[in-house]
Amino acid sequence: MKRNKGMIVAFLTPALIFFVATFVYPIIRTVMMSFFKIENVVDSIGKWQFTGLANYIKLLQTPIFHTALLNLLKIWLYGGIIVMTLALLFAVILTNGIKGKKFFRAVIYLPNIVSAVALAVMWQQFVFSNQFGLFKPFADMGGWAWLDPEHKFLSLLIAYCFGMVGYHMLIFLSGIERIGGEYYEASRIDGASRVAQFRYITLPLLKGVFKTNITMWSITSVGFFVWSQLFSTVTTDTTVITPMVYLYNQTFGSGNSVTERNAGLGAAIGIILAIFVVIVFWVCNRTLKDDELEF
Amino acid sequence: MSKQRKLPSHDRLRQQAALLPGYVIIIAWVIFTFILLGWVFCASLSTTQEIFQGQVGLFPSGLHFENYAKAWSSQNVSTIFANSLVYSLISCAALILICAPCAYVLSRFKFTGNMAIQNGFVAAMGVPVAMIVLPLFCVIAQMHLVDNGIRNRLVLIFLYIGINVPYTTIFLLTFFSNLSRSFEEAAAIDGCPPTKTFWQIMFPMAQPGIITVTIFNFINIWNEYFLSLIFANSDTMRPVAVGLFSMINSMKYTGDWSGMFAAVVIVFLPTFLLYIFLSEKIIAGITAGGVKG
Repeated sequence: MKRNKGMIVAFLTPALIFFVATFVYPIIRTVMMSFFKIENVVDSIGKWQFTGLANYIKLLQTPIFHTALLNLLKIWLYGGIIVMTLALLFAVILTNGIKGKKFFRAVIYLPNIVSAVALAVMWQQFVFSNQFGLFKPFADMGGWAWLDPEHKFLSLLIAYCFGMVGYHMLIFLSGIERIGGEYYEASRIDGASRVAQFRYITLPLLKGVFKTNITMWSITSVGFFVWSQLFSTVTTDTTVITPMVYLYNQTFGSGNSVTERNAGLGAAIGIILAIFVVIVFWVCNRTLKDDELEF
Repeated sequence: MSKQRKLPSHDRLRQQAALLPGYVIIIAWVIFTFILLGWVFCASLSTTQEIFQGQVGLFPSGLHFENYAKAWSSQNVSTIFANSLVYSLISCAALILICAPCAYVLSRFKFTGNMAIQNGFVAAMGVPVAMIVLPLFCVIAQMHLVDNGIRNRLVLIFLYIGINVPYTTIFLLTFFSNLSRSFEEAAAIDGCPPTKTFWQIMFPMAQPGIITVTIFNFINIWNEYFLSLIFANSDTMRPVAVGLFSMINSMKYTGDWSGMFAAVVIVFLPTFLLYIFLSEKIIAGITAGGVKG
């Protein structure tokens, strides 16, 4: 063991240096920053003014932050329901003995490897286009346009969900494949229908997979930024703004939309987003306990 | 469900018929995906006028490969493409050299803090970038590193490495844990020092895992947006995602839509090609529990 000490230290150090520099130190500093008023983000600690919870209170009193938070919740909830439903549906279909499973699986996952910027361009300029869009007929029937202020959020949600289904489908897929075929066979002999099999075998045994999927969905949701920026026509487009966009405009953005220079506000946004993830994770762990099931 | 036993042929036929709605749903989704990507590809070979007349895919005036040449040379695509290639390749290589030894040590040796480091890495995978970006900006700006020079590039590479260290390490850790210890024991009996054992025996054996995680890292870094937006301020520094965004914004005014679609295709081509050849490996990597969006 002693012989290995030098090796352990040498092998750990580079990774830990990067880890401390990009995660540990920034996280600690962000937590501290959120309790201070900081005129400029590059100010040294000596120039910070301690204000306690003022940043959080201020944020919660800012209408535009409310909108951003509400948009995020809508993306998380509606988008989550859409994505999880489609992902589970596709996973169940693909594990039912369908031919060409590998091909379908690969195509459904494909959007996940394409840059979000490229994907968003395809949706905006082609699918939702006002001139030659693929979905134009739907909007024409109702006499509206996909990218007008009232429907922009819906368009954004559809485009975003389309790209996310593949990843969550793969997680469900591997979960279903881990369930042994004998359960299905035994239930089939007992006369269970496919729906009953899904309800009483697949769903209960997928609890842990649901937990993974919901956690991952929440983590990606809070970082929601590119899509929002691509769907905004002006700097602060309240129809699609999210906390990350607000943070970006507040701290790095061009002057006009920023009312008050305070990097502490930005830090508080980061903390609020992190708390959101922690709460989701905690609730999932409490409600989706999978440890009583051994399989 | 997952393991179908052999059934008599009429049963199998009935079973396939019962799957019909499933086929319809999946095939509709797949066709839509193809139309989406196919349209952009066709648009990149049409003229702007044809795009606006809704004639994409008909090619009334032939294939316009010059859109690519134009986008590549005059629209900065060559610059952002080269930038991303350099950033991604260097970061991916560095990530393996940094994370593989770390993962190996964490998977093989018991020492104080081992579990703490592992838990730290796992937790870091769930940390929103909003939690880390302000202090990073502060430190980097104070050191005057965003100078549009070589130091700026190094900062970007440092960040791409840093944010991917936890995921890469945890992925490789799982991989190393599944490798048998008998190789190291044999090497130790033969008097091979542990460091040498790692580089010459265990590291090569981890190759499949290293390749998989590198593909993920490459795709992630190639498509990275938020940090690049903040830390790459000029056209000469920008990687593809941010470069494409600023190009799209200017394209709206120049009106060169076909050129824009050509740029979009150029940007997504590398990851797309990787995927065509390695999709099975990528999918296996995700489903094996290496969890990352």
